[in-house]
Amino acid sequence: MTKLRLLLGACLLLFAALPAQAANTLTVGAIYVGNVNDYGYNQSMHDGLAAMRAALPGVTLLEAENVPETAESERVMEGMIQQGARLIFATSFGHQQFAFNLAKKHPDVYFEHAGGWMQAPNFGNFFGATQAAWYPMGVAAGLMTKSKTLGFVAGVPIGYVVGNINAFALGARSVNPEVQVRVVVTGGWSDKAKEAAATNALIDQGADVVTMHVDSPATVIRVAESHGVYSIGFQSLAAKALAPKGWITGLGFTWGPFMTATAKSVMTGTFKPAMVREGLGQGMLAIAPFGPAVPQTVQAQVKAAADKIASGFNPFTGPIVDNTGVVRIKAGEALGPDKMGNFDWYVAAVIGKVK
Amino acid sequence: MTMPFAAAVVSGSILLGTSLLYATLGELVGERAGIVNLGLEGIMLIGAATGFAATFVTGNPYLGIAVAALAGIAANMIFAYIVIGRGANQLAAGLTLMFLGFGASALIGKPYAGAIINGLPQYGGFDTLVWLGAPLAAMLWWLLFRTRWGLALRAVGEDPAAAFAAGKSPSALQYQALAIAGFLGAIGGAHLSVAYALSWDEGMTAGRGFIAIALVIFAKWNPLWAVAGALVFGGADALQLQFQARGADLSPFIMNMIPYLLTLAVLLAWGWNRRSAAPAALGRNFFGVE
Repeated sequence: MTKLRLLLGACLLLFAALPAQAANTLTVGAIYVGNVNDYGYNQSMHDGLAAMRAALPGVTLLEAENVPETAESERVMEGMIQQGARLIFATSFGHQQFAFNLAKKHPDVYFEHAGGWMQAPNFGNFFGATQAAWYPMGVAAGLMTKSKTLGFVAGVPIGYVVGNINAFALGARSVNPEVQVRVVVTGGWSDKAKEAAATNALIDQGADVVTMHVDSPATVIRVAESHGVYSIGFQSLAAKALAPKGWITGLGFTWGPFMTATAKSVMTGTFKPAMVREGLGQGMLAIAPFGPAVPQTVQAQVKAAADKIASGFNPFTGPIVDNTGVVRIKAGEALGPDKMGNFDWYVAAVIGKVK
Repeated sequence: MTMPFAAAVVSGSILLGTSLLYATLGELVGERAGIVNLGLEGIMLIGAATGFAATFVTGNPYLGIAVAALAGIAANMIFAYIVIGRGANQLAAGLTLMFLGFGASALIGKPYAGAIINGLPQYGGFDTLVWLGAPLAAMLWWLLFRTRWGLALRAVGEDPAAAFAAGKSPSALQYQALAIAGFLGAIGGAHLSVAYALSWDEGMTAGRGFIAIALVIFAKWNPLWAVAGALVFGGADALQLQFQARGADLSPFIMNMIPYLLTLAVLLAWGWNRRSAAPAALGRNFFGVE
């Protein structure tokens, strides 16, 4: 009789414990297109998920690096689902279709994709609104340059990248009206030898501040540092470590709060798919700490510019002329956040052609 | 501080061409002994990963290059044993070596991704390996064309049976040639990570091993021509990036095509010269004399 009672008690306990257990634990899968120690895009994603796991002790994290943007990614994510993952972060643009295929196949598994547009009841997407956030980076560069020449290494000149370069140039011109931004396109997101060559070319042409939009800022910053040239980082706030002397500041993704909130929503069954885009002051982007070479007055001006962006200032407010003299944004008009991917022209301060 | 355009292009070509030059010279020595090694890309990757890792661990870029060179020899000896010792098909063994290099370099480099190293010191804007490149090519030319060892090695590449009959050991010479090839190929890869990009990433050679194999043909199996070839191919990329930095009135998409257009132009110009300089026994295994 005692045995039976014990057994019953154990069963009751088990049933009582089960729902609570389900609400507090979650296995999250994450796939990265590159290495999580790249001081760049992949590291920012990895750091965001690490912050999520630290905030939610019940979360188990499965991670896979160097997952190509092919059907291989679908197999990797499927493997994570087999291991119990109920939330998957597909962090590279090209993972979108493969994650979406799996979302249809597994309606009980939730997906978040970085940078895409697809939507389903269990599939949302997120990204940082980077363009306006580049404006304070331009302010920093414009105040630090002596040669009035800034260098920008760009991977592929898609509209969003061109928008980043334009906001950077507008910020620089706002404090230094004679400054010019030289752009070199490498044609890929990750070709280290070419990135080094592009950085050298910009320095040869007189750039004394270089920045970049490629997957990993490591090569550009290290090469700039070896030439005694200033650098501004992008993607991960950790890039500061790459340039003990020449680091000015940088723009980095802070995905932690969003990833934590998403994991919580899956745990509590309140997941809602959305297209989330957040800029400076909204949670997904932050300004990196300044380097030792940056004077207090410059730091104050950069912070003021960042606050201005955070409080809603749109750098793409007319009149804005492109670098061939054509008026692109008329006085009194402004380009909204939904137009940031449409740039196929450079503002007047930029030397270069988009296409 | 703006550098004159021509000077910037020349310095860019030399910097980008150096890793190609080392890799090309290595492949060239192997092919002179009659062995095509399509695994050069893998050897370069192993060199890039081990060189970067060893530089980080020891804090000394020269030691890093030395470790890379030894790793390159070791990896190429696997290939040498399969091809010379076991008589396997050179093309198949080479491709296998390439994939082995992809995997092994990813494994070796993984713990050091994101490590911060101080690269090879520079003298007058160029690192030591750049300064040693052209003298090395001259030395290899002298070794191949002015020494008895070089004569024997080339004889093996032209007609191993005749070399064997003359009292030379084709397999010993081929092992030596492939050791040199591994040594130089890995240094070519290490130059990218330790001296040039100062960072490491999986697959960072991005096909330069195959360009080097093409450069051996371009150089007509002559080390001195390899210097010109490496400069031209390194120069094509340097030229277009400098054009962009100067703000040339040309689409970046067209500019990124310049290296390939130049390759086509060179092949067209070269195609007229039908006299082949390829070693006669290139790619054929020597199984001894009946």
